[in-house]
Amino acid sequence: MEKKQMKISIRPARICIYVFLILMTFICLFPILYIVLDSFKTNSEIMVGGVGLLPKVWHFENYSKAWKLANFSRYTYNSLYMSLFIVLGSIATATVEGYIFSRGTTKFSKIVYGMVLASLFISIGAMSLYPQLGLAKMLKLNGTLWGVIVIHVFGMNATQAFLATSFINQIPKELDEAARIDGCSFARIFSSIIFPITKPLIATIGLISFRDAWSDYLLPYVFTISKPARMPLVVGVVNLKTTGIAASSWDIALAGISISIIPMLVVYLFLNRFFIDGLTEGAVKG
Amino acid sequence: MAKILRKRNYDAVGKTQEILMLLPMFIGFLMFVVYPILWVLRWALYDYGGYGAPIYIGFENFIRALTRDNKFWLALINTFYLAVMKLVIELPLALALAFFVNKKVKGSSFFRVVFFLPTVFSVAVIGLVFTILFSAYNGMVNAFLSFLGLIKENINWFGTRFMSLNVVLVVSIWSTFGLNMIYFLMGLQNIPKELYECSMLDGASGLKQFFYITIPLLAPVMQVIILLSLLGTMKITDLLLVMTNGQPGGQTEAVMTYIFKFFFGYGSNSARMSYGYGSALSIITAVILGILTVIYLKNSQKMKDV
Repeated sequence: MEKKQMKISIRPARICIYVFLILMTFICLFPILYIVLDSFKTNSEIMVGGVGLLPKVWHFENYSKAWKLANFSRYTYNSLYMSLFIVLGSIATATVEGYIFSRGTTKFSKIVYGMVLASLFISIGAMSLYPQLGLAKMLKLNGTLWGVIVIHVFGMNATQAFLATSFINQIPKELDEAARIDGCSFARIFSSIIFPITKPLIATIGLISFRDAWSDYLLPYVFTISKPARMPLVVGVVNLKTTGIAASSWDIALAGISISIIPMLVVYLFLNRFFIDGLTEGAVKG
Repeated sequence: MAKILRKRNYDAVGKTQEILMLLPMFIGFLMFVVYPILWVLRWALYDYGGYGAPIYIGFENFIRALTRDNKFWLALINTFYLAVMKLVIELPLALALAFFVNKKVKGSSFFRVVFFLPTVFSVAVIGLVFTILFSAYNGMVNAFLSFLGLIKENINWFGTRFMSLNVVLVVSIWSTFGLNMIYFLMGLQNIPKELYECSMLDGASGLKQFFYITIPLLAPVMQVIILLSLLGTMKITDLLLVMTNGQPGGQTEAVMTYIFKFFFGYGSNSARMSYGYGSALSIITAVILGILTVIYLKNSQKMKDV
């Protein structure tokens, strides 16, 4: 008797929870659905508006137009190029940082660790873009994406460094000692022992830095203001709006936006477990 | 003796290797993190617009910002509004979702994937998409509302300061609540299950468990999440630049977008570049952020001790 009562009192709550979750799912998915479906509409169909989500006729040529006319092939190439080097570079630097902050014995590495920690609290974000651009000019890196790559890779991303440090801290020190007895030097221990067993860390850093690189807007925007041929996808897409082209050709703009989000969508759906695990590890332990 | 010598030599090699390995990153850190801070500190004292000779004006830039620049303070108020409202709406939402998804709801892994999805995309692109969705004449949101019979005339979402700020708020929550949900989820998973079982024996029910076990044990995670969320919103840039760019009439500017324009201009307003003044504003903002962080960390210390 008592059991039956409990079931009845729990059910409405359960239903409420499901309604809430499904509503949130709808809110999350709707904009993405909207972009992808509307990118197949004609411009006038978009301009009229209305609640119809599905296009009357599927216009696949929006993509070829965006790809050729609005130069999205170039933007996509730039994005891939920039992201590839940032990902490789970030993996290399973050693992080394993690190894040294975890195992290093010199005062130098302790001081650097302290400085990086402190920089988190005085970070000046978008305000450091101008001096960074100035530096890149001095190094003759302005007007190319290499400036962005170098800043991403060597600017010591504190979050990634802490994530790597906490991961390597969990690797037992006995491993190092064993290798040391076998005659491995400090650098050798890293390259033949630590680096190979940090695969989950490498995957995590790779994904996070890919996401950061692929979706970065301000830094590449600043570096390519006057060089449209060097813009990555995100900058190219947003540029459509500010130059006023998008107002007249939303079909192309939406196709461009799709091109910029679909690769991220695919990567995320395939690797979402790494993605989420990696982020949580960095947040709570790092 | 020889053994000791060899060991010393070995340690020295190790230390040299250590320094050499860290050196490239350290130089990068000095160049791209420390140098910009020093640069900003220096030029804040000058009147400098990028060309011509810089003029040393002492603290004039700071005086201008503190006494005569209403727009800066408006931008600051906007930013605080966004940060506080975001905390108030987003964190309970994220906590609730994490709580539901953590319990054995059917399809919980599906919900996790979907709720995290918005976080994956570029904030700038998200801004662009929502500008289209909220546009006054052909936007989906207006079409939807009038389809449901809730409005008769199209709403101009970006027409007033209040309205645009709230649209930005909604979009900004959309783009980050998934991340906070994951943080909470991680915290929830670290709470030992035995605690719930024990309290069950003591007769604590769902809500009581939530307030006496879940919330207190989540407190340390919560401390980090609140700080990250606050600082994150204070630095909001891309989203606002793309969505409102300060429209209407510079009323929806946030601190970072306002400062950004002194360095680079954006869209149509590129006529007011002033690196010296921008630097001074940067310093004022950095100091405010620093003070906020310290106050917050001091006052929330209790949360960590639980």
